[in-house]
Amino acid sequence: MAVFKIGKVILRSLFKKPATLMYPIKPREWQERTRGHIEINEADCILCGICAKRCPTLAINVDKAARTWTIERMLCIQCGACAENCPKKCLLMKPDYTSPDVVKVTDTFNIPDAEKKTEKTSAGSGAAPVCDRETCIYCGICAKQCPCNAITVDRKEKTWEVDENVCISCGICVEKCPKNSLKID
Amino acid sequence: MSDKKYMVQEFVAVESATLLEYMKDIKAEGYRLAQICAMKKEGDIELIYSFDKDHLMKNIRVIVPENQEIESISDIYWYAFIYENEMHDLFGVKFRHLALDYGGNFFKVSEPTPWNPKE
Amino acid sequence: MESQRVERKEVKKMGKRTIIPFGPQHPVLPEPVHLDLVIEDERVVEAIPSIGYIHRGLEKLVEKKEYTEMVYVIERICGICSFGHGWGYCAAVEGAMDIKVPERAEYLRTIWHELGRMHSHLLWLGLLADGFGFESLFMHCWRIRETVLDIFEETTGGRVIFSVCKVGGLRKDVDAKTLEKMSGLLNGIKKELQELTDVFLEDRSVKNRLCGVGVLSKEEAEELGAVGPMARASGVAQDMRMAGHGKYLELGFEPVVETDGDCYARCKVRLREVFQSIDLINKAIDEIPEGDIAVPVKGNVDGEFITRMEQPRGEAIYYAKGQGTKFLERMRVRTPTNANIPAMVKTLQGCDLADVPMLVLTIDPCISCTER
Repeated sequence: MAVFKIGKVILRSLFKKPATLMYPIKPREWQERTRGHIEINEADCILCGICAKRCPTLAINVDKAARTWTIERMLCIQCGACAENCPKKCLLMKPDYTSPDVVKVTDTFNIPDAEKKTEKTSAGSGAAPVCDRETCIYCGICAKQCPCNAITVDRKEKTWEVDENVCISCGICVEKCPKNSLKID
Repeated sequence: MSDKKYMVQEFVAVESATLLEYMKDIKAEGYRLAQICAMKKEGDIELIYSFDKDHLMKNIRVIVPENQEIESISDIYWYAFIYENEMHDLFGVKFRHLALDYGGNFFKVSEPTPWNPKE
Repeated sequence: MESQRVERKEVKKMGKRTIIPFGPQHPVLPEPVHLDLVIEDERVVEAIPSIGYIHRGLEKLVEKKEYTEMVYVIERICGICSFGHGWGYCAAVEGAMDIKVPERAEYLRTIWHELGRMHSHLLWLGLLADGFGFESLFMHCWRIRETVLDIFEETTGGRVIFSVCKVGGLRKDVDAKTLEKMSGLLNGIKKELQELTDVFLEDRSVKNRLCGVGVLSKEEAEELGAVGPMARASGVAQDMRMAGHGKYLELGFEPVVETDGDCYARCKVRLREVFQSIDLINKAIDEIPEGDIAVPVKGNVDGEFITRMEQPRGEAIYYAKGQGTKFLERMRVRTPTNANIPAMVKTLQGCDLADVPMLVLTIDPCISCTER
């Protein structure tokens, strides 16, 4: 019967370099897509709050009045939903992980004031939504969901208006319309 | 496109009184018990028994009022005791003639029937 | 049998009976399951299982999380079969909402699921070797598994929990260059695993511990409702990949079946399945079409759907029921270890005390799946 069949494998691994990495001494090389922690590019953030709505563990908190963006590092599960849905793409997923600690870490970032813009700069796809008056039922869902309060809807008078200077083209109104009457080109 | 057996959804509603004869018929046809699922409705509990033969599935739906006892099928399918003990611990469904009865100690929960709380 | 509180006072034979509690914490036991072993002079007469040490009540979270966010919870039921749970949940909800997923997404899901199967079986092989004390074989199996985990990290971003499946398709795409590299790495794994296969199947000391232990005949396997490799090693040709989800039938798939029914046959089934997975992945990489990876999903879930997946451990059943709002009414996951516990209890009757950890390992237990 066969005995010590693993001999060849063991002899070979005696003469090769070890398969393990001397981890804390030699740093680890991360891959490109590794999900570690979230970083924000403060200059681009428009405080729309979509990331806070999409976070499944409610780790992100956006305070519009105080102009801060807060994340609780220990609640984040690195799913990447916030980075995917940000309309200005200012959230990035970086590869190195939050190190273990004995206290819960909360990071707060201050968002600088945006300068007054005279002409409309492009954000997202660059245009305000257009409403198809024939299918619109004036329910007002788009106005409620708009993070910048750019849409005004009056059910009785049957009016629908959008303020193009405030609109950031995030596209939430298009997504939530029950009759699919909104469009952004 | 090859046959998509997993898309076949067959749900049959059966009365709890005729449950045991139905089970004996199914066992004679060669079906294997796959799972039992409990769901809480208003005042009732709905049980779904799933059977499988040759990768095709058949589901039986039984509605049991909350405090009524139902016959256990562990005489016909011995391994149903796992699912029936779990449902007894989590939902409070009462079974009669269980082959291996843990008496409420199968799942170690801190309050009784946590998924069907009694206010 | 009566409930476990009744003590057995009468003895039938001359041997004295003792009850040994085994688990949930034990150096040889891989998972936190508790067994009360009734033994008579080193031979096990009866075994009474009891679980419930890590019940987290994950299915009840369906009342609080919307159906698009619930996928993150379901993925974290288990670390080893994580992609399978994500795919099963998405398939159940997509079936209830009648959504058709694009072809490229189906191919990619199949590739990731087979990679998951490979890493799970390699982990099990390592634990089996550790179970009978062969530590260097354990380390070599896990060293091969590291290559698979590096592939996961390169394509999805995580080594264990992927977060890549969503209702309607996938979140990340893989380009052709990475797929070529994956193919090259897998062929390297095949060569290394060939050498270790000889150790598992031919070596005299390994065969002494595995042959003839825990025999389950074909009738018993059908009578006890065993699923997965446990049933396939006893001659029952049952594999949920024949039911048609994913691209398995198009890639020409046949279940791997052995007839002996002991631990050696189960080890052989799992080893052959790893090689079969490598072949399936290579074929899928050759045939994958271009296209989208997701379709947009709108609206709420109404209606019910029940679907099945073949996890590395066996057949898993996913049942989703919607009630017209964005929260599902009920989500039920029945995992394969749940169905294999009666078969384990039956094989434990009549074995030696030293074989108990071998038999507990042979069903490939995953207790965090069993009591989500």
